[in-house]
Amino acid sequence: MRVQSAFIAVVLFFLAVLAFFCTFAPNFATASNFEDLMAGFSFIAILAIGESFPILLRGIDLSVGATLALAGMVAFDLTLMFDVPGYVAIPITLAVATLCGAINGALIVKLRLQPFIATLSTLAAYRGLVYAISGRQLVPELSTTPLSDPWIMGLDTYFDIGSATGLSSLVEMPWVPLSFFIMIATLVVFGVMLGRTRFGRDIYTVGGNAEAARLAGINVGRTIITAYAICGFCAGLAALLMIARLSTTTESLGMGMEMSAIAAAVIGGVSLSGGIGGLAGPVIGTFLLGMVLIGLTLLGISQFVQQILTGVILLIAVGHDRFLAVRRQKRLAANLAEEA
Amino acid sequence: MPAAANVNASVAQLLDAHGLTKVYGNLVALDHADFRVMRGEVRALIGSNGAGKSTLIKVLTGAIMPTSGSVTLDGVELPLGRPEEMIRHGIGCIYQHSNMAPALSVLDNIFLGRQPTRRFGLVDVKAQRREAEELLKRYCIDLDLDATVGELPTVKQKEVEIVKALALDAKVLLMDEPTGWLAASDVRRLHDTIRLLKSRGVGIVYISHMLDEIFTVCDTMTIMRDGRVIAEADVADMTRAKVIELMVGDRLARESSAAAGEARHPRGNGDIRLSVKGLSRRGMFRDVSFDLYGGEILCITGLIGSKRTELMHAIFGSEPRDAGTVEVDGKPVDFRAPGDAMACGVGFVPEDRHRDGLMLGMTVTENLVMTTLDRFRRLFLLDRRGIETASRRSIDDLSVKPADGRKLVRQLSGGNQQKVLVGKWLRLGPKVIILDEPTVGVDVGAKAEIYSILRAERDRGAAVLVVSSDLEEVMTVADRIGIMVSGRLRSIHDATDMSMAQVVAEIGAE
Amino acid sequence: MSALSPNIATRLAPHALTIAIAAFVVVFSVIEPAFLSPDNLVGIVRQVAMVGIMATCMTFVIMTGGIDLSVGPVLALSGVVSFFAMEAGYPLPLVLAAGLAAGVLVGLLNGAVIAFLGLPPIIVTLAMLSIVRGSALLLGGPDLHSIRDQPGFTFIGTGSIAGIPFSIYLFVAVSLLVVFLQKMTPIGICVAAIGENERAAFLSGHRTRITKMSLYAISAFGAALAGIIQSSQVHTASATYGEFGTELDVIASVVLGGTSLMGGNGSVARTVLGVMFLGIMNNGMNILNVSIDIQLIAKGAIIALALALAERG
Repeated sequence: MRVQSAFIAVVLFFLAVLAFFCTFAPNFATASNFEDLMAGFSFIAILAIGESFPILLRGIDLSVGATLALAGMVAFDLTLMFDVPGYVAIPITLAVATLCGAINGALIVKLRLQPFIATLSTLAAYRGLVYAISGRQLVPELSTTPLSDPWIMGLDTYFDIGSATGLSSLVEMPWVPLSFFIMIATLVVFGVMLGRTRFGRDIYTVGGNAEAARLAGINVGRTIITAYAICGFCAGLAALLMIARLSTTTESLGMGMEMSAIAAAVIGGVSLSGGIGGLAGPVIGTFLLGMVLIGLTLLGISQFVQQILTGVILLIAVGHDRFLAVRRQKRLAANLAEEA
Repeated sequence: MPAAANVNASVAQLLDAHGLTKVYGNLVALDHADFRVMRGEVRALIGSNGAGKSTLIKVLTGAIMPTSGSVTLDGVELPLGRPEEMIRHGIGCIYQHSNMAPALSVLDNIFLGRQPTRRFGLVDVKAQRREAEELLKRYCIDLDLDATVGELPTVKQKEVEIVKALALDAKVLLMDEPTGWLAASDVRRLHDTIRLLKSRGVGIVYISHMLDEIFTVCDTMTIMRDGRVIAEADVADMTRAKVIELMVGDRLARESSAAAGEARHPRGNGDIRLSVKGLSRRGMFRDVSFDLYGGEILCITGLIGSKRTELMHAIFGSEPRDAGTVEVDGKPVDFRAPGDAMACGVGFVPEDRHRDGLMLGMTVTENLVMTTLDRFRRLFLLDRRGIETASRRSIDDLSVKPADGRKLVRQLSGGNQQKVLVGKWLRLGPKVIILDEPTVGVDVGAKAEIYSILRAERDRGAAVLVVSSDLEEVMTVADRIGIMVSGRLRSIHDATDMSMAQVVAEIGAE
Repeated sequence: MSALSPNIATRLAPHALTIAIAAFVVVFSVIEPAFLSPDNLVGIVRQVAMVGIMATCMTFVIMTGGIDLSVGPVLALSGVVSFFAMEAGYPLPLVLAAGLAAGVLVGLLNGAVIAFLGLPPIIVTLAMLSIVRGSALLLGGPDLHSIRDQPGFTFIGTGSIAGIPFSIYLFVAVSLLVVFLQKMTPIGICVAAIGENERAAFLSGHRTRITKMSLYAISAFGAALAGIIQSSQVHTASATYGEFGTELDVIASVVLGGTSLMGGNGSVARTVLGVMFLGIMNNGMNILNVSIDIQLIAKGAIIALALALAERG
């Protein structure tokens, strides 16, 4: 889609923050730090990519954190309790997560619930389900057993790009985690889907003007359900990457991550009023948030201040988004009032 | 004989709607309407609100199924009631409000919902572009295919909608209030496009209230009233005054002679209650000045689009103004919010009672006291007994039916809802009461009751300002008549000095 | 019931809830007679006192179509602020005032951003959740601070009058106060009007933005009071209290009471019923030794049902 000014703003802001922390935060501009950044935030970027779809439709998905936890627990149970091999467990996990998303979509379409109400309910339901199926509760020894399935644990690999490309002779290169590549792949696949297929066009149409979409014969219900299913899928993918990194899972996995995902998407230019924004923005927004959090830690700023800042950043992002939306309205009204 | 492009009559006939009737229970929305459009003809469709225009359009677009009647296009009878079918056969419609995806490009909007695809659902951009460029060339329309629609000026967006309809092989284009959001220069550009389409043989139905435009770009006109087609004529044979007369009907003559018997009180008791000087708002209205006296009913009339509602909101303080002053009882006031106006004794009954006026899910009593809650406050407590009494009194005075304050407003008929709305403002005991289209969507009986309520207020000494497009209503209740055209208050006359025909002439004059 | 008179849709809902409560009480006491013992019944109310206070105070916010997700951290914050006030040696009234004021301040902030900047309540209170939690942690750290030698403060959560826990008196008092506000003052109509049709309320001269802002302050007040009770009950103040899930219980109670999340007519009195219903369900299921996950699923199902009915009504 067209490059928006909001996107350019994010990129510039990203570069500015990068420069700031490289200069002032000790150990920020090091290979291991960038490694941590990529490893720690690639899966959140995937969440943000997924969250962008509901937001583009003028909706929201508050349950992504819970879906993530549920997917993580499913993978955990399958491999540790039922000895299911990874190459079976992974597709099942992804399928479950996608289903969770589709259910959100169905609640919104069939029961006509507002997105925030529907996903608030599934947030509770899925969290409850996590406890219900938790292998750690059902089989107490498992709470200390690490995941060992090679397929899943293999997701937590690092690649020495530096040596491979010979760049490490010039500057110390970070080892790039597989999750980063998976995130890039996700961005490409869904980016192409959004930007170059008719389905993607339909998303922008439904989000930008639902009535026009209906009149144009677009199957609005199917578009909505698919969008929320994609969001669920991304949560499942993020879950797999996360549990690989932690080599275990907990019932409170992903708690609060919906906020980061939403913040990253809005910062990345996906407007809450629907129909505007792409996927590259949320990815940049995620790493922007990541840099801020890590950079502040390196600057010695307490974790708690970071928590405050995350909330403040979300408020500012949403406030800015609203300001842009109001300005768009005013421009429309001004168009009408050209001459008396 | 309707004007036709330079082809003989039988081949030129494009759209032929015959005997269209639509009945909703007791209400006859469309009464055996005939409607014909020739190839290359621009036909205006004219009628006031409730005349049956929108019903006719909805039948033509397939949004509703008529009770009886048929529609033929190019000799082929069309399956009615199915929008996809009507589009497929070549009836396109450009609605008042934008029907496009603002974030997508012009190219994508032209093929909205049906972009051509290759494998994997990827959009075939090359094929799309080829087809679009051909269309643009054929109809000499100049659009940047890669521009984002949301950022285009409105006139360009309309052009995109036109190309979109043409891409669907529209043979007849219905344009519903096409210039509602356009500036004057853009209107000229749109008309050029219309002339071009006409020369390519497209039949155009131009639905509009703007008589100026109709006399500029249309060849023929169809006038509707009360669900019936009452006149078809060449534009060249008509005058504005005749059009308005036909729109409004001759029942008016009877009503106004009956109303003539009523005593009129222009300038009421002689006290100027409200004084407006030089009120302007860019793009809306300019340099409006008038005085409103206590004990009179001043009706400001004009065609839809004369921006009277915006003027009233500006006076009341719920919308901004760029210049001018408002004085109440001789003292200048600066209303920033409705509360300010109300504190000065000015009330405003808005046009859209569902959106701006009533709480449909609350009771009649609650709605009635919505503006006067402060008066029922004893310290912190709500005087519920007082509220019940006041509500009962209002219900009596206004004859609200059913006479039960506990009924939810949404359960009332339109006329009774309107009475509750008016009643809520009258409870304020205002010195100045402004009403915007007070009887739209109200049955005849309730209309009469509302008129006597207005007269009672006037006799009580209030200054009553009524905005109305209903000439019958104006002739019935007005003590003075103000005429507003395109954002300017042209003139104010005593009602006793004006005949209906004169009002009509002034509204339609250049 | 609306402020002045019942309307048909909401006339059914309170009856459905009362009948359901009665039905469950009967079922539970038949299966396990200990359910009806005075100790148990008092225990039920005591357990729901905190959620009850928060739910009654949040009802107005929900009636305007808004929501307050930040109540958990506010609960923690007020406990922590009170703790530090006590450590500093302030007398009890000042301590309580400090804790409550901290909450009200957060509420006013929420309300100001939502009402005057027009940002969506869900996101604003979500962001505030993080901000307040971080602030509480900054203030008190993640540690548990024990409250010692504070008989006045501890009485709030643990003391009893005439055999009934003081916290129940507080719950009753707050409920009565808020019900009073709704039915006996203009606030009830104003709030319902904003929820029904904010534009019409504005055009009718109502100061809708100030009203909305105050409602969020009331909601936060409830959370602050609950926080004081909590800290008092367990003799500990911690910035980690009011954990995730607190706000869900509160919202569930309001929804069960028939108030729609879309805004409009609602009832504080019915929220109280909703609170009691949830309390009875929890208690009954515990007595019957129903496992936690089934409890969660049952609760989820009931809430989903209530939501579906509320949207229809």
